Order: sequence, then structure tokens, then C-alpha cells
Amino acid sequence: MQRNQIIRTRLGWTLLDGVERLVSALWPARFKGSVGRVLLLPAVLLIGILVIGLGYMIEYSFHELDLSTYRLKDEYSLVNYAVIADRPVYMRVLNRTLLAALIVSVTTVFLAFPYAYMLVRTRSALTRKFLLIALFLPFFIGQVVRAYGWLIILGKQGLINSLLEGLGLPTLNLIYNYPSVIFGLIQYMLPFAILLIVPAVAAISEDVELASEGLGANWISTFRYIVLPLARPGLIGAFVVVFTLTLTDFAMPEILGGGTTDFIASAIYDSFFQLSNAGLGAALSMILVMIGSVIVAAIFYLAGTGTLGVREQSR
Amino acid sequence: MSRMVEVKDVSKSFDGTLAVNAVNLVLNRGEFLTIVGPSGCGKTTLLRMIAGFEVPSAGEIRINNDRVESIPPYRRSIGMVFQKLALFPHMTAAQNVAYPLKMRRFEPAQIPSLVDKYLQLVQLGDYAGRYPHELSGGQQQRVAIARALSFSPDLLLLDEPLSALDKKLREEMQLEFRRIQQELGVTTINVTHDQREALVMSDRIAVMNEGVVQQDGTPVDMYRNPENRFVANFIGMTSLFEGTVCATGDGVVSVKSGNVLLQARSNDKVLPVNTRVDCAIRAEQIRIVEDASVYDNSVFGTIEHRIFEGDRIVYTVHVEDLGGARLHLFDHDPVSHKEYPANERVRLGWNARDLFAFQAPQSN
Repeated sequence: MQRNQIIRTRLGWTLLDGVERLVSALWPARFKGSVGRVLLLPAVLLIGILVIGLGYMIEYSFHELDLSTYRLKDEYSLVNYAVIADRPVYMRVLNRTLLAALIVSVTTVFLAFPYAYMLVRTRSALTRKFLLIALFLPFFIGQVVRAYGWLIILGKQGLINSLLEGLGLPTLNLIYNYPSVIFGLIQYMLPFAILLIVPAVAAISEDVELASEGLGANWISTFRYIVLPLARPGLIGAFVVVFTLTLTDFAMPEILGGGTTDFIASAIYDSFFQLSNAGLGAALSMILVMIGSVIVAAIFYLAGTGTLGVREQSR
Repeated sequence: MSRMVEVKDVSKSFDGTLAVNAVNLVLNRGEFLTIVGPSGCGKTTLLRMIAGFEVPSAGEIRINNDRVESIPPYRRSIGMVFQKLALFPHMTAAQNVAYPLKMRRFEPAQIPSLVDKYLQLVQLGDYAGRYPHELSGGQQQRVAIARALSFSPDLLLLDEPLSALDKKLREEMQLEFRRIQQELGVTTINVTHDQREALVMSDRIAVMNEGVVQQDGTPVDMYRNPENRFVANFIGMTSLFEGTVCATGDGVVSVKSGNVLLQARSNDKVLPVNTRVDCAIRAEQIRIVEDASVYDNSVFGTIEHRIFEGDRIVYTVHVEDLGGARLHLFDHDPVSHKEYPANERVRLGWNARDLFAFQAPQSN
């Protein structure tokens, strides 16, 4: 038994030494500094492909659709953008999307913070386990499934309406409207926001909060002057992520809105696949990208470079 | 002198384990008390109860004659320096020091001059605009203490704030803390596991072990007159061995240990014949001697280890006659630089007043 174990350990060491020798032969020590850069390659490639795609989209957006051939014309023009500016429906969809993104991100961050704080600070292992499971469970259920789930609960013959009927009360229109889309989106975004806020809260030492209390601050002041400013990178990160995810969301407005509350992503989808007008779709996409980038850049600018905690770590 | 802090029969248990067991302490205005003990002895729990971060399971805590057990920390007049300092990383040194003044609703016009005064006090006048991460370890300590003092609290609590510093800086900061404390005359409780820090900084020391205060007194008193084996062993470099009382006199007892008879000090306690005792002797009280006649006690032993520490040499001597006890002793002769090699047989001598005899615990 003992002997076997020794032999196995020796064998393990020999194997490891062999692997090490092999690696050092294939990858001399002087290349060591470039390992990080090599590992970065896949990510850079992926983003590179994305940029190429974006380039094509920009190109498309400047070509008008030739209705006789259903292909984009060769000459450059601003017709697609003019069409978008001309038709009030696009402005309406855009406004609706932006407003939803704002409402959803503010509400979600507001709801996510106490959850994240509790998750980090609770002393009860049971509470933490429960909060963690409740946090990760939604990730196993896709967005479309969840949206259909809401249909089952909120729909015309759904759970709530059958309950109301059973009680002899009039049924309600709980779906296919703006509030239901907002509601679905908040519920969908919440876990993302919590996951982004948790590290920010975890980085705040509990001693710092105790120190604040000892120095004369009640919990409201401690929250306002210590916790909130220190958690700010996480809060802004969560806001930006939820904002952009909502801005580009497709499934929730499609399913819970039922065609009544299209977001800009639905309009882009329709342009490409219903109208077969790639030029118009590309132009709409460009506008979406522009608006999203400008808003995110503005937030980063206003909030300073400290956002997302990407800066030299202050102890 | 008026009482600033009074801890009366205070206990604290966590999940049925007693962390602090019926502790009594009194602290007068302006005094510097150090609570010293090994980790897990309950010293930090006691400090946190005084600060208000823990509620005692039993007993009373009075600060400035007011009962405080149910008063939240932010309503107590206590400045605390944490082990990890807990400076606010998003605030400059000046903003850190101003924070308690703002929270305690000082007159806004008063705040800048107070901040300035306390930053000057800790010699950081030129660093007001620096953030904590732009300051060195020692400077961060200074900001932490200025922040804890700027609102003139009744009481200053130090929760091992020096433990993370290297030796040289730690010794410098010990003197600095003491200077500031005396300059302001602020009543202070310091918690540490470092016996040297306790001796250097304090007016008074309380030694804690297993949730109980073992002894409470001035540094000199604690060092020269330890009341039990734990205190004798915890403070100073001490050697311990067992023995039995075979004759008692006036403050002196004869103790049989191994096969030698020793004269020891009974510390004003009556130790009847046949009492089992723990004997304790400090390293600096044992001499390597040629002529044993000037000492009350003398034994032969063999040098086991020799550690050269520069200003002194620490010898460990194995004494067969004391039941194989190992005695530690310091030796340094600045004139002859005499050294004894390992395995050399030497004669040791010490006086009766330096050998403590404590009644051994009953269970043994």
C-alpha cells in the first residue's frame, strides 16, 4: 500500500518533469513575456470580426434599395437615413426603446443593490445559499422561456385572470402592453445587475463601515457617504450593462409586447427579414449603435475613469 | 481621579462559548491601559463591547458614568483605530479627519481649523490632500489616529493597529502614539498580543487569557510581581519548572524540584508544606557563575543552544537535577566577550527573590 503510493508519487513527478521539459522545449523561456498576449488573441480576433461586420453595416446603410431588383443600388446616398427621419413611427419606436432602457436600468440597479449587499454581508450561510441559488436559477432558463412563462401567468386565460374569474371579478389586460414589457425586462436584467454589483460591495471592507459608525455616522449617513461612493463603480457598471442590454433587446418586447410595443431591435429585424431592406436595417442599426455608444461614453466621461473598477487599485 | 470607564462583570458568549468571562476593569481619566493576551483570549471582543460593536451577554459598561450597553457606537464618544485602519479610500487625509466632525455636527466653520490642528499633531500637515493609497504605512497610521481624535472623544480605543507594521516602524509608532496620548491626555485602551508594546506604552496593563483578566497593574508591577504562572510566562522570557514546597518562611519558601532544594519567593501567599508549585524565573535573573556562594540558588547544567542576538546571547541550559528542565538565560559581558560553547557544563546561580513559586492548578 505504502510502496504503491510512493511509486505512484514518483511516477507523477517523473510525468510532470517530462511535461515541463516538453513545454520548455516548445516554448523557450525568452518567449514567456508574450504568453499573456498570445492568450489574448482569441478575444482580439472575435472583436476584430465584429468590427468587420460593423464596417459592412456602415457600407450597407448608405445604399438605397432598388425596388425593381430588390437589391441595394450601387451609388451612395443618405436615403435610408432620410426615410427614418421622415417616418414618425421610427422616432416613436426609438423614444419608446430609450425610455424603457432608462426605466429598466434605474429600477434594476435600485432593486439589485440591496440584494447584492445582503448577499455579501449576511452572516447566515443559509441566507447566502438561498440568495445565490435564487440569483443563478434564472440563468438556466433562457429569456424566451421566461417570457412565455410570464404569458402563462399574466395572459388572457392565464393564472391571474382565471383566479380573478373564479372570484367573480373582471379580468385584466396584463400583457401586450408597455408596463408588462418593462416588468419582464427588469426581471430578466436583475441577475446581471446583481452579479456586477456583488464584487463592488465585496471590495468594501466591513471595518470601513464599522469605522464610519464609530466616528458618529448612523447607517443612513454611512450608506450615503461611505457605501454608495465606494460601490459606485459597480453601480455604474451595472447601469451601463442593463441599459445597453435593454436598448438592444428583442425577445421581451416581441413576446410580452405582442407587436404592440416594438423596440428598435424589432424594427431592425423587420427591415431585414420582412421588408428585405438591408440598407434600411443597417441604417437603423447604425443609429442604435451611435445612440448607445454616445450614452455609454457620456456616462463613463461623467463618472470618471473609475467606473467598472478598472483603475489602479486603492487599498 | 475620576473614573472614565468601568467594566463590571461583563461576559460575552458566542453560540454557547464564553469569549469574555465576568471581566472587571476600571480606567481613570487620562490613563493608558493595554489589554494584552494571546489571540483568542477575548481582548478584542472586550474592546468591541466597549466600542459598541458587540452587546455584552451580561454585565455593565459605564463610560463617563453612563451605562452604554444599549447605546449604538455612533452615539458614544469613542474614537477607534482599527487593526486594518479602515481609512476611507475615497477621501483625502483631510476628508478622513473631517468625517467624524461632519457626522457629529460640529460647526462647519470650525472644521477646517480642527482638521489642520490634528493633522499637525500627527505631523501630516503637508499631506492633507493625499489619498490613503498615496501614503506610506506609517502615514496611514497617523491619519487613522488623527481621525479617531479630531472630535475630542472621551475615550480612544486601539485595536492592534500596529501589528501589521515592521519592527522598526512599530517601535517608532508606539512612542508616537504615547506622545500624542500624553499631549492630549485622552483616556486610552489599547489591545495587543505584543508584551513589549504593552510594557512600553501603558500606564497600566491587564493580562487576559481564556476570557478572564489574569492580572491588572502597572508595567513594573506586572513584570516584577506576576500573580500567576500565566502572567509570569506571558511577560518577559521566562523558564518554568515544577516543584513541591518543603518548608515555608516569611515570604520565602523552600521548594524541592528534581533533586535540588531551592529558595523561592511565595509572593505573599501562604503555601503550605507539600503544595505542588510552578516555579518561574526570568532569563535575565540567571547568571553563569564560577562562585555560587553569592547566590541563594545554584545548579549545574549543560548548554544546549546558544543564540547570538548581537546585544546579548541567549543560552538554553539543560538542567538534569531540576527534573530535566530547560532554563533560558541572557548573558553578555561587554568587557571580556566571553562565550560558552554548546555542551559545556556550567554553573548557574540566582537569588530567591527572583524565583517565583505559584500554586499549581488543582486539577493537576
